[in-house]
Amino acid sequence: MTENEQPLVKEQKEETIRKESTIDKSAIEESAKKGSKKIGVYLCRCGGNIADAVDLQAVADNLKEDKNVIVNIQDYLCSSVGQDKIKNDIEKGKVDRVVIGSCSPKLHLETFRGMAKNAGLNPRLLEITNIREQASWVHDKEDKTGVTSKVLGLIKGAAARMGSIEPLSPLAKTLVDRTLVIGGGIAGITTALELSDSHDVILIEKKPYLGGHMIGLSKTFPTLDCSQCILTPRMVAVHNNPRISMLTQTQVADVQGSPGDYSITLKHSPRYVDIGKCINCGACARKCPTGAIFLPFAQAVPQAYMIDMSKCSNCGACVKICPRDAINLEEKEETSAIAVGAVAIATGFEPIDPTFIEEYNYPSPNILTAIEFEEMLSAKSKTGMRLQKADGTFPNRVAFVLCAGSRDFTGKGRKHCSKVCCIYSQKQAQLVKKMKEDSQAWIFYIDMRSGGRRFEEFYHHTQEKGVNYVRGKVAEILPKSDGTLMVQYEDTNLGRKGREIFDMVILCPALIPSTGTKEIADKLGVSIGDDGFIEEKHVKLDPVNTLNQSVFAAGCVLGPKDIHDSVTEGISAAHKVSQFLGKGMILIPPEKPVILECNGCGDCVKACPYNALALEGGKALLSPLACTGCGICVPACPIKGIEIRNFTRDQVKAQLQGILSEAPGVIVFIDPYAYAAADIAGVNRKQYSSLVRLVSIPSVHILDADVVNAAFEYGATGVMLIEGITDEKLTSRSDDLYKKLKKDTRKHKKPIRYSHIETAQYEKLTDLLNVFASQAGAKAQKMSRKEEISDKEDPVS
Amino acid sequence: MKKEPIIPESRDPAFIEQVIKTPVGEKIPTCMQCGICAGSCPVSQEMDYSPRELVRMVQLGLKKEVLSSSTIWICTTCFSCSVRCPRGIHPTELMETLKPIAIAEGIKNRNVKFDNVFSDVIKTNGRASEFLLISKYSLTEPGMIKQLPFGLSMMVKGKLPLSIQRMENTRELEAIFNLGEKSREKK
Ligand SMILES: Cc1cc2nc3c(=O)[nH]c(=O)nc-3n(C[C@H](O)[C@H](O)[C@H](O)COP(=O)(O)OP(=O)(O)OC[C@H]3O[C@@H](n4cnc5c(N)ncnc54)[C@H](O)[C@@H]3O)c2cc1C
Ligand code: SF4
Ligand code: SF4
Ligand code: SF4
Ligand code: SF4
Repeated sequence: MTENEQPLVKEQKEETIRKESTIDKSAIEESAKKGSKKIGVYLCRCGGNIADAVDLQAVADNLKEDKNVIVNIQDYLCSSVGQDKIKNDIEKGKVDRVVIGSCSPKLHLETFRGMAKNAGLNPRLLEITNIREQASWVHDKEDKTGVTSKVLGLIKGAAARMGSIEPLSPLAKTLVDRTLVIGGGIAGITTALELSDSHDVILIEKKPYLGGHMIGLSKTFPTLDCSQCILTPRMVAVHNNPRISMLTQTQVADVQGSPGDYSITLKHSPRYVDIGKCINCGACARKCPTGAIFLPFAQAVPQAYMIDMSKCSNCGACVKICPRDAINLEEKEETSAIAVGAVAIATGFEPIDPTFIEEYNYPSPNILTAIEFEEMLSAKSKTGMRLQKADGTFPNRVAFVLCAGSRDFTGKGRKHCSKVCCIYSQKQAQLVKKMKEDSQAWIFYIDMRSGGRRFEEFYHHTQEKGVNYVRGKVAEILPKSDGTLMVQYEDTNLGRKGREIFDMVILCPALIPSTGTKEIADKLGVSIGDDGFIEEKHVKLDPVNTLNQSVFAAGCVLGPKDIHDSVTEGISAAHKVSQFLGKGMILIPPEKPVILECNGCGDCVKACPYNALALEGGKALLSPLACTGCGICVPACPIKGIEIRNFTRDQVKAQLQGILSEAPGVIVFIDPYAYAAADIAGVNRKQYSSLVRLVSIPSVHILDADVVNAAFEYGATGVMLIEGITDEKLTSRSDDLYKKLKKDTRKHKKPIRYSHIETAQYEKLTDLLNVFASQAGAKAQKMSRKEEISDKEDPVS
Repeated sequence: MKKEPIIPESRDPAFIEQVIKTPVGEKIPTCMQCGICAGSCPVSQEMDYSPRELVRMVQLGLKKEVLSSSTIWICTTCFSCSVRCPRGIHPTELMETLKPIAIAEGIKNRNVKFDNVFSDVIKTNGRASEFLLISKYSLTEPGMIKQLPFGLSMMVKGKLPLSIQRMENTRELEAIFNLGEKSREKK
């Protein structure tokens, strides 16, 4: 939904929308016929990005044969020159509907629709056909004629559907002015605090205390100030803030509702001690015979004891001694429901488990991860902030092994660089040298990455402190019987193998998204990348937004980074949330079902997964604000009385006819989530056959045999449905949909497939497309041969 | 070892192309010179270039050095490097790929000679014989005469048996060798 499309009335009443969505068929036809329908087709060369693979002039010449169509080609349509051309044509009345052939609508649809609106055209009367990510970039190894014919078909299809597009306006829904921040690390803390100036916040944390990894750090690079000293004031501020409800040991269990208006179920695991009542006197811990009741660590926020039930003998000594009556041994896991308008995900990272790197022999005494090293010297220390080996003595020779599981393209580790290890290992090496001047600290690195302000200076300073640097990825760490560790490596600067004995080896593990990030992303309908981190709306330009307009992200859940950057993103996310909530309204796409005929059977009411339909006075009635536009009701209606506006059967069929008018091809219906995967495939130039024609639809569930049969009749050699949405309410029905379509289109004897593709699986997508295109092609050939041999027999029967 | 500067003439783009086109070649350009291969290699200290350096030289197209290096012959095919390489490069297989290229290019150093003698012995007898191997190799490599006392002392201790074992039917083996020969020619 674009920000340009303000609803016509600010306070749209549910009633009026309801009425609008039950108009009768003639009204739609009327509105479709209105006007002279001068369709302007604008094709973009995109420098050579499109024009090098497609003969745009040939496309234009062919299109011009239609008297209702005018065609124009520009070098860069998104430039002001390009946009002005379209704007002028609209303003002068030369065109009243626009089809653009350019890059993905995910990039510039909002820009173009904004321009259309300024020119006085309803934004919905402008659409983009993707001829770059889904044509020129993915067939650039093919012959130009095939790609040109595909593009011509796509544009013809788009123009055919555009002819009957309704000038709809988005619907408006009131936002709930409350935000859920998930994760109480520095990123979540910052987001919550920044927001609390003007909005209510619920901050949840799955651990029993706030602070995330930062509370387990010693000193912080590049300035070496104490982590706890700079973090504690922020945590206390969260705790004391009347607009922030802080809930520890809490996770998201379920998400219902829609953007701007979520109803979320939270799950709280029991602490057995009431945080509100506990005054931290410690009387309970002194009485407990098994040491089951404890304070996580001295500076933990919230300041309250908790019980480890695996140790508790249920003697009740603590309950009796507690002066505040704060302890309840019977506490159970509980759930609660909250209503929020926006969500900020700040679930951070965790280290990869280095056990899989066999040659490093982790875990072994004195082989630690960098996080274990930090914790020994932090607020969470169990050694009284002393660095010590398994035998309690100080390690005089310490090695740091970088990239343990990072920068690995074999599938065993992770591809990405974990970004902070180069710098924190130098910090840790400095700390070792500081604790004992004649100790040795060696850093084994592949590339010392210290870009950015103050970091190269930090590197230089660490060198001055006498830390030893070796360029080479450690080959082996062998524990010796005397407790020391032998490290084998190649000094790549000299090209010589080396062996060295250490007392302690620190592995710097790849930093990966926290467990559960994918589940949260799925529940909120946002995508994750193939590295598992949350996908930004735009890598560079919208770094803390997601593809869900009411969900934001900050900190390491967007990729490894340091505290400075996590805080920056926390502030940015808070600003973006505030901007979003500040509108008070959320616009929802008007492409909803319209009930044209109804015999009151109630099948659609039963089918709707979101309770958006009800029978009133013997007729089905829609609540547009509850409706997600999933389209399940469309094929559910036995008398074909329901259509999705602007994706009606007739409109989609007209588009298919146009697409297949030039040459037969494979029709691939694709939903917006999987569409994003196809775009990424394009950006990565993953090639697939130009026979493949993607048809963007709001959901695969709007399809029925009527449409698919039409595709076959117009010449499709195969039909594929690609779904990317992860909402189980829909995906649980996809198999049935596929089976039904297969059965009801059997007479064509042409292949039909269904596949679920998430945004990150773009490689799987292109593989599928290629395999299917060649299967469909082979089948079509076989069929036509059969027809030739026995041309009297009806091959269909 | 004298180190020649690398100048445009030392690089051979056709050689890069040739290696990259082989099944193991595709990933060669992604080597990041981390050195875990060389650090893991049990015999890299015996090589004139470590596996890491060899990959680097292939990236640069230093054909002459690569093909005449001792590295590709000294490799024991233990696979340590291939198992650990974070970029999925298979230095072991790279060595195996480079050997026939070196032979085809007529590179003749003692490693190539030894390899030839070794396969000859196998081809005619079907079994390895230390005695045959050493004596035949000594004929092609005069420097081996210096090893004579060592060989004699081994013989005295029974570590260098003079008996030559033969396989019953070496014709099948020959056929295998010929097939291998043919497939190499095809490439
Ligand atoms: C060894 C090491 C040393 C470092 N040293 C420095 C340094 O010196 N200087 C520096 O600037 N940076 C340093 N960093 C980086 C720094 O730790 C991170 O930048 C910072 O912790 C990121 O904060 P975050 O809030 O994004 O994530 P996190 O700190 O990981 O916080 C995420 C929080 O979310 C919670 N959570 C996760 N999943 C859920 C869920 N499903 N529901 C509810 N809550 C959830 C977690 O329990 C956690 O509390 C270091 C990192 C490492 C690994
Ligand atoms: S930051 Fe340094 S140590 Fe960490 S993965 Fe990147 S290069 Fe390796
Ligand atoms: S089935 Fe889907 S499209 Fe139909 S009313 Fe329900 S939510 Fe809306
Ligand atoms: S291990 Fe792989 S990436 Fe590292 S230097 Fe060797 S070949 Fe290159
Ligand atoms: S396979 Fe060859 S190069 Fe690789 S580690 Fe073993 S001996 Fe060294």
